[in-house]
Amino acid sequence: MSGSNRLAGLTARPKDTGPAEVRKVDEVGEARGFVDRTPRKKPGRKPSPRTYQLHPKVFPRVGEAIASEAERLGITQGQLIEQMWDQYSTD
Amino acid sequence: MPVIVMASPKGGVGKSTCAVLLASEFARMGADVTALDCDPNKSLTRWASHGLPMGVTLHSDVGRSEIVTTIKNADGDGKIVIVDLEGVASQLVSRAISQADLVIVPMQPTALDAEIGSEALALVREEEEALSRTIRHAVVLTKTSAAVKSRVQKELENQLRGAGIDMIEPSLVARAAFSELFAYGGDLTSMLNNPEIVTGGKVDKALLNATAFTEAVYERLK
Repeated sequence: MSGSNRLAGLTARPKDTGPAEVRKVDEVGEARGFVDRTPRKKPGRKPSPRTYQLHPKVFPRVGEAIASEAERLGITQGQLIEQMWDQYSTD
Repeated sequence: MPVIVMASPKGGVGKSTCAVLLASEFARMGADVTALDCDPNKSLTRWASHGLPMGVTLHSDVGRSEIVTTIKNADGDGKIVIVDLEGVASQLVSRAISQADLVIVPMQPTALDAEIGSEALALVREEEEALSRTIRHAVVLTKTSAAVKSRVQKELENQLRGAGIDMIEPSLVARAAFSELFAYGGDLTSMLNNPEIVTGGKVDKALLNATAFTEAVYERLK
């Protein structure tokens, strides 16, 4: 049964792989009990790798400015301090 | 080149054994085989961890959302794609069947296996209708007796043939070498030629059975 020339004659038929066909297949499967059984991911927020905590006391105007800038950028105050530190370190 | 999917919502019927035998035998014929392990039990991945035969590439952990694109990407000139599915009724199974050129439904010669396996056959027919495409499918009996054909097996074969189901001959006999492939990796030829491998069965008989089975599958792919 050896010889790749025999296998060369084998061809795959073209198949539909578009979202509409997949949806159709899902519907047919679901009607027969072939449903989505993908394990659900653990709910909730993943623990942050940022575990070190700072306790700096600053003037209220500085604290408020850091808080509002972080909010404006859509990041946490810790991330903003990290960015500031990176900039300070590279200067 | 063709996509062969092993499907049955029942576990332990021999889907992974069929997949391993076809992957290794087609590779021995000179095909570039891509095997997709979609079974959470990772039987094919365990087999591959001991060494893959030349010509076989394995993709593990293929899930529902990636199955269609993974098959599409693996398919190509000179390549045979073999998909080993999980033994449950899932969307992953129905999606894989939609991409098949041949669906093989392995079942042991028992009433329970036949009843649950028939769910896969019915799903194939419904997908054929929905997609307006013929999806060739066949049943192979597994873990059969080497010595005698049981009365239950004869009756089951008659019933399946009577229902117009394509039956792959020969069936896969219960051989220790088939299950030991998962412990040693590689293929039956390497098992036969390696004196360090101690098996509890007749590897030469197992190889003959696997070769004849692959030949029967090949005939259905032409």
